Amino acid sequence: MTNALETKQLVKKFGGVVAIDRFSVQIRKGEITGIIGPNGSGKTTFINVLTGISAMDGGRVVIGDQQEKGGIKAWEVFELGIARTFQNIRLFEQMSVQDNVLIAMTKRSPLAALFERHRDIHETLVKEVLTRVGLYDKRRALAKELSYGQRKLLEIARALATSADMILFDEPFAGLFPEMVRVVSDILKELRAGEKTVVLIEHDMAIIRELCDRIIVMDAGQLLAEGMPKQVLTNPAVIEAYLGV
Amino acid sequence: MSIVPQIIINSIIAGSLYALVAMGFSLIYSVTKFFNLAHGVLAAVGGYGVFFFGRMLGLPVMVAVALGILIATLVGWLLERCVFSPLRSRKSSALVLLVASLGAFTAIQALIALLFGSQFLTLAPILEGGSPFTVAGATITDVQIVLVGTALAAFVCVWLILKKTSFGKVVRATADDEEVAKIVGINTHKVIGKTFVIGSMLAGMAGILSGFDTGIEPIMGLPLLLKGVIAAIIGGMGSVPGALLGAYLLGFSENVGVWFIPGEWKDAISFSILILFLLLRPFGILGRK
Repeated sequence: MTNALETKQLVKKFGGVVAIDRFSVQIRKGEITGIIGPNGSGKTTFINVLTGISAMDGGRVVIGDQQEKGGIKAWEVFELGIARTFQNIRLFEQMSVQDNVLIAMTKRSPLAALFERHRDIHETLVKEVLTRVGLYDKRRALAKELSYGQRKLLEIARALATSADMILFDEPFAGLFPEMVRVVSDILKELRAGEKTVVLIEHDMAIIRELCDRIIVMDAGQLLAEGMPKQVLTNPAVIEAYLGV
Repeated sequence: MSIVPQIIINSIIAGSLYALVAMGFSLIYSVTKFFNLAHGVLAAVGGYGVFFFGRMLGLPVMVAVALGILIATLVGWLLERCVFSPLRSRKSSALVLLVASLGAFTAIQALIALLFGSQFLTLAPILEGGSPFTVAGATITDVQIVLVGTALAAFVCVWLILKKTSFGKVVRATADDEEVAKIVGINTHKVIGKTFVIGSMLAGMAGILSGFDTGIEPIMGLPLLLKGVIAAIIGGMGSVPGALLGAYLLGFSENVGVWFIPGEWKDAISFSILILFLLLRPFGILGRK
C-alpha cells in the first residue's frame, strides 16, 4: 500500500522543550491511522506541524509520491489536499453555519472570488455535507449559537467540504453524545470506503479498536510503537507508557 | 435664521470625512488585529499627490485625483508588504506592529514636509466654480456634497463587497480566525494585502477631499487619524457599518457640542465620548463582546 504522507526525522521545539523528536512515520493511503499517546506526548503538535500551524525545526515531510518539503505553510495545506479539525473547536464564529462550509469551497484567488457567486454545485454540496452531520436545518444560524456537539459536527462538515484527500481529526469524539459519536464514526468509515486517508487522534481505546487500521503511539515526542491495533495495544511498552496497566 | 440646519449639514460633512478614514482603519484592523497608525498619513499622501499632479504638473483635476488615490493606495500596500507583513511573519505582537506603524507615519510625514514644505497649502484653485449651495437655510459647497456622496458610496461598495461576494467571505473569515482561514486554503497574506489596498484607497480619498475642502499640510494625517480611530472604536472595531455610525455620531456630537461651548473644545468632546464608550460599552455600537 502506498503512503499518503511520510515524515522523516521530524523535529519541533518550543524553546528548550523538544515536542517532536526525530519522528519518522508513514501514513498509508485509504486507511484510518490512529495516533495515541499520553497527554503532552506531541500528538496535536504533530498535526500542527503537518498543517503549518507550527513551523517545523528539522526533518522532512513527504506528501504523496513526490512532494518532499522542509516546511509547510498553513495556506498550502489546502492545495496539498489536507484538511483538519481542532481539539479546541475553531469555527468562523461570526459567520453562519452555511458560510462556514461555503468558505471551504471559495475560489482561492481573491480577484476570482470577487466575482464568484455561490450557486448550484456549491449549494448542493453544502446541503449534502450539512445534512450528513444533521445541521442543515441550522444553516442560517451563526456558528457561535450552536451547542458544543453541533460545533464539533460543523467543524467536521467544513473539513469534509474541502474534498481533501486526507483529513486529520484531533479528538473529534471528545464531549459528544452517543448518537453524535455514531454519526462521526460513520463519517470516518465512509471516508475510508471512499479511499480517503484519515488520521485520528483519540483517547478512547474502544473507538480506536473499532475504527483504526493502524496505530501510531507517541511518547515524549518520539515514536513508541506502530502497527495493527491488536499488536500495538498488547505491546508491553505501550501498556506501560500509555495504558498504565 | 435658525442655525440648526447648518449644524446638521456640518455634522454630516464632518461625519463623512471621519467615516472615510474610520472604515479603512476598521477594515484593516479586522484582518490584522493591530492599530495601523500609518493609516492617517495616507490621507496626507493622497492630498499631496493631488497637489503634485494637479498644481505642480498641471494635470486635469480628475487625473490628479485618480493619481492621488493611486499613490496613497500604493504607499499603504507597500507598507503592508515591506513592514507589517514581515513583522507578522516573525510573530511580532500587535504592540510591535503599532510602534512600527507609528514610525512609518512619522517618517512619511517628515518626507512630505521635506518635499513640499510645512506650510498650509490649498488644493481649491485646481477646481473650477466651487460656489456654495444653500439647502434649507444651510450652506454647503460642491466639494462637501462630493465628500458626503463619496463616503456613502464608499460604504455601500465596501459593504456589498464584504456581504455579497466570495472575496468578502474570505475577508470575514480571515478577520474571524486567520489561522483557520489558512487551513481552509485562504492565502491570508494576499487577502490582507488586498484589504490594505481598499483601506488605503479610502484614506487617500479622505485626504484629497479634505484638501479640496480646507487645505493640506504634512501634519493633516494626525487629526484625521485620531477622529477616524475614535469613530472606529465607538462604532465597534472591525465593523465597517459600525465605523460609519461611529463617524456620524462623532460628527454630530462635535458640531452640536460646539453650539453650546467654544469650538476649542471640539476635540475634548470627541475624546470624552471615546472615554465614555470605553467605560460603558468598550466593544462599541456594533462590535463584538
